[in-house]
Amino acid sequence: MKRLLLLTALITLATYSLADARVKVKGRGDKMNFDPESVDASFRPSMDLMSKKCIKCHTMERTVIAIQTGRAPLTGQPFDKQAVKAYGIKMLRKPNSDMNKQEIRELVVLMNYLLDENKR
Amino acid sequence: MKLSLNKIMPGILFNALLLLLLVSTNAQAIPAFTRAHKVECSTCHTVYPELNEYGEAFLKSSYVYFGKGGKSAKPKETAPQPAKAAAALKPAASGADIKGAGDADTLNKLKAGAMRATDGSYEETAAVSPPPQTEESHPAKAAGPKAEGLLLAAIPEQLPISFSGSLHGSYNGNAVNEFDFSSRAFKLNAGGNFSDTIGFFGTYLIYTENAANISNTSQTPTNMTQKNDIGELFLIWRHALGTPINLKIGRLQPKLGLWKSNNKLSVTNSLAPYSYTVGQSVFRIEQPQDALEANAVLANRLFLAGGVVNRKHQNAKEGYGHISYKFGGADFNANEPDIDLNKDESIFDFLTVTVGGYGYFGTNGTPNTTAGVSPTQNKFYRTGLDLDLLYKLFRVKLAGVMGRDDNPELSLTKKAVKSYVAAVEGQYSFLQNLIGSLRFEYQDDGRGYVRRYIPTLGYTPLENVKVAVEYKHEIATSYRLTSTSPAQDFTNRIGTLGVTFSF
Repeated sequence: MKRLLLLTALITLATYSLADARVKVKGRGDKMNFDPESVDASFRPSMDLMSKKCIKCHTMERTVIAIQTGRAPLTGQPFDKQAVKAYGIKMLRKPNSDMNKQEIRELVVLMNYLLDENKR
Repeated sequence: MKLSLNKIMPGILFNALLLLLLVSTNAQAIPAFTRAHKVECSTCHTVYPELNEYGEAFLKSSYVYFGKGGKSAKPKETAPQPAKAAAALKPAASGADIKGAGDADTLNKLKAGAMRATDGSYEETAAVSPPPQTEESHPAKAAGPKAEGLLLAAIPEQLPISFSGSLHGSYNGNAVNEFDFSSRAFKLNAGGNFSDTIGFFGTYLIYTENAANISNTSQTPTNMTQKNDIGELFLIWRHALGTPINLKIGRLQPKLGLWKSNNKLSVTNSLAPYSYTVGQSVFRIEQPQDALEANAVLANRLFLAGGVVNRKHQNAKEGYGHISYKFGGADFNANEPDIDLNKDESIFDFLTVTVGGYGYFGTNGTPNTTAGVSPTQNKFYRTGLDLDLLYKLFRVKLAGVMGRDDNPELSLTKKAVKSYVAAVEGQYSFLQNLIGSLRFEYQDDGRGYVRRYIPTLGYTPLENVKVAVEYKHEIATSYRLTSTSPAQDFTNRIGTLGVTFSF
């Protein structure tokens, strides 16, 4: 009985740990996105911004996979904080990206937060 | 009431473009590099086939994707397969919505997909969550011995070929046949790399019609040899012996100007400084040559190239050199500039300027390798300066070249000719897939003076399909069509609707 309880406790702990490990994701395929409810309230405006601006050229699925796996899904290049800044600068300079420096800064901070949350 | 075709033609062209705008939807392009690297065409192109700065970096990297290279193949690595992996990780992953909290099972599959696609950790991730055992995705087929064998053999997993076609309709009020819809070309392209060590590229013009000169509509890609033939075919030894130097050999466009011949918005009109000829000489800056070239990117922003050309039936070596430097923007290795995001916007955050200079000297004419036959030779040189300026939605291209031919008419009595040709093109990106440009060209090639005004509107309804509407207003002053014909003034007004597609 003790073993059973211990096993149950371990499974519960492991499951809890996994459940808290990443920012929640909802939807699938092209509809995949981070669940705003699972993001710190201070980042909600940035989440909205990301959901509006980034989908102009690609789906949010690409961003989610990059954050969750630490790899840019198409190129396979590492997706860490350094890469996030580089992508931010790339998007800032991209013609017709329709994002200014302030917005890029917000999104870089948001993605750094998401990367940190994903590591927990 | 009888309608004049001259009056309704602009309307037809406009409506055709409007129709394409209305029916278009988003799609992915699929030519060779896109297939190999799983990226959109717009990663490297503005409006295809014009390159953006990442496309230029890819070109300079000898068709090895940014950040890669210099490593030998590792037995444990598997060849990239993100397309299959991505397909597997979407609905096939679980068939249910991701439940949040990481949805461990699905996310493991996501990881498996991305990891397999990139760093070859298929075995580890497959152990966590094996993909569905379909015929195609069975490990033995998808990433098993076959893939490893291909990798060890340095053979690309995807056949690195693609095709491109172009169809043009034109209107020339001065021509006997005012409307010409018979212009078309079909080309095979191949390109890629073997184990990031050897780059290769080839184009073969399968079919084309018409040729280009000053008196008719320029219909076909003029980088070709104007017959069914290999346009370019070359190999590149990347970073030879561990140095930054790349060695390129084969038939290739010598690195002279900043832009390759097809690196332009227009589907028909090549940049005059690169495409003009003098007298009987067929030499053009953009002409593919049998050459050996060494080039290198130094300090990320300096590009140097130099080479030797051996012209067929000419026992005289030709030589050339190129230097360019990039200020601002991503460097030649596609590294982003270090912009401080905490500071206010500055003009320098968005300004990119590339300057380049080049020189070429050579000899052409009748063969000088036949014993007992005195050749008629033309010694020539070209020297040019280019500038590419990019600021937000604006782009300006400047190109100027001067040259001298000591006997371009290949006559027994030599008569030297100096040539001066320049072009300036301004571009504006209305949308990501809609760019307008206006080009002015000035050409003094020894037979007279030509000025051209060329507005172009390029649009890609799909990333691999381009529609371009162009108008060329060409004014020739005291121009002799041949060396013996009288000088005359004439004006050409040529409208073109062109469609180019690749697959």
